[in-house]
Amino acid sequence: MNAIEISSLKKTYDTGDKALKGIDLNIKKGSFFGLLGPNGAGKTTTIGILTGLVNKTSGSAKILGYDIIDDFKLARKSIGLSPQEINLDVFFSIRKILIFQAGYYGVPQKLAENRVDTILKKLELYHKKDETSRHLSGGMKRRVQIAKALIHDPPILILDEPTAGVDIELRHMLWKYLKELNNQGKTILLTTHYIEEAEKLCDEIAIINNGEIIKQGETKSIIKEVSLNTIEIEVDKPNDIKLSDDFDFSINDNIIKIQTKEVNKEITKIIKEIEQTATINNINIIKGSLEDAFLKLTNK
Amino acid sequence: MNIEFLTFLRREIYRFMVLYKQTIVPALLSSLLYILVFGEALGSRIGPLEGQSYMSYIVPGLAMMSVITQSYQNSASSIMQAKYLKFIEDILIAPLSGLQISLGYIIGGAIRGLICGLAILIMCIILSEMPNAQGQFNIKNWPLTILYLLTVSWTFSAFGVIIGIIAKSWDEIGSFSNFIFMPMTFLGGVFYSVDMLSEPWRTISYFNPIYWMISGLRYSTLNIGEDLNLISLFLCISFSCLFTIIASYLFKTGYKIKS
Repeated sequence: MNAIEISSLKKTYDTGDKALKGIDLNIKKGSFFGLLGPNGAGKTTTIGILTGLVNKTSGSAKILGYDIIDDFKLARKSIGLSPQEINLDVFFSIRKILIFQAGYYGVPQKLAENRVDTILKKLELYHKKDETSRHLSGGMKRRVQIAKALIHDPPILILDEPTAGVDIELRHMLWKYLKELNNQGKTILLTTHYIEEAEKLCDEIAIINNGEIIKQGETKSIIKEVSLNTIEIEVDKPNDIKLSDDFDFSINDNIIKIQTKEVNKEITKIIKEIEQTATINNINIIKGSLEDAFLKLTNK
Repeated sequence: MNIEFLTFLRREIYRFMVLYKQTIVPALLSSLLYILVFGEALGSRIGPLEGQSYMSYIVPGLAMMSVITQSYQNSASSIMQAKYLKFIEDILIAPLSGLQISLGYIIGGAIRGLICGLAILIMCIILSEMPNAQGQFNIKNWPLTILYLLTVSWTFSAFGVIIGIIAKSWDEIGSFSNFIFMPMTFLGGVFYSVDMLSEPWRTISYFNPIYWMISGLRYSTLNIGEDLNLISLFLCISFSCLFTIIASYLFKTGYKIKS
């Protein structure tokens, strides 16, 4: 059984905007899954439907086998959501917010109190437990959002841009913590605009654009399949270079840039051709990234 | 009763209890001022109404006025605040049904209304015991009094839920209170007996549901108007049920709160 199964999911808003055009998505248990896409692609709508914030137009979705409509209580108990926008109650202390949040998911108060302390310590927020959200920095509020998602210990975490607007140090701290949670067996569905973040954390990704999934698979496979590696070769006489048409290359000053999928296979041939007319001073290989693949797939 | 629902209900009660200086105390203070100004200062000049001192006569209406305002404000502003700051999402994604969410808000508001209503009645009993008081005020039928306070606060709390869901701004919530409930309450006979009015105003007053609510509480506290009691009870219970069903339906379908 998959952690999340989405089948032919469609959403058309009252404005007529088709946010989802029938997406299919399966997320394995225990995976760290990235849902990537440009603004307005349909990421937040998908998450909204899974969590009950958005009404679907048609199609189906299951969380750990529970239908999000017919078995919505069991489906929702399996999810912890950290939404894109900060949504903290301003009346209560952080501790109180988290105790209430745990109770909404059936966690008894005593257990919730213990859990709150543990999570706040882990997220380095324990010293702020009696403060209201008004007295927290942006980064602290983000961490409280994550604490809210974790407080009922759900098997699936849905994180909608959890590191948006946080500094690099905190981002790395959160990455480490999320990896730790994933290693403990939690399935994580992450949306992010930081492609580097997805590349670093996610073992599988799906790229969504204009309400359609345009690519899904293992992160490494997608990078290999879609993005090109760049070989930069510095030569003494760039004007004399003659490379066969098999290669996609450009010359800038005395650096030749060649883009190829198969560096190991092509590099010997390239060096041989160049050395016929020039001397090579330096070779630099830049591996293809998820960002390249993302830009290529979304035509950006 | 499950933990999920009870936690949400506890949250709603805790919210107004923490802010008691904004939620409970002003209601008592404004009722006290009405009693001092209308009951004590003007009451002696107006004289008794339907066999009761003027101060005693206006107490049930004042209690009802407070119950209506407080229960409506509680649920409407709780939902509006949650919508405005987006933490209503925490409730919408929780494993709670539309009925449970609406009941959480409704009961929260109803308890606030009930507390305010009871506190005003008790305050008036104490005031009437004081030397030089204009008249004696006592509750004739406590269970029926509590039933009236509860059903009316439930009705307006449920109505507050509906308006809280539909309203786009704080202004819209305030408008209902200022332009509809306040005039209906004043014209429902808080400070006078409808029998004092000439036609057609007397007949028009009978179409005001708040008139029946005040009459019901007047019967349960002062034993005035027994013949109106059944109609009053029927209206209070019917409105409670009707608004609860509508509020639950709105949460179930996500009207105006889900995309």
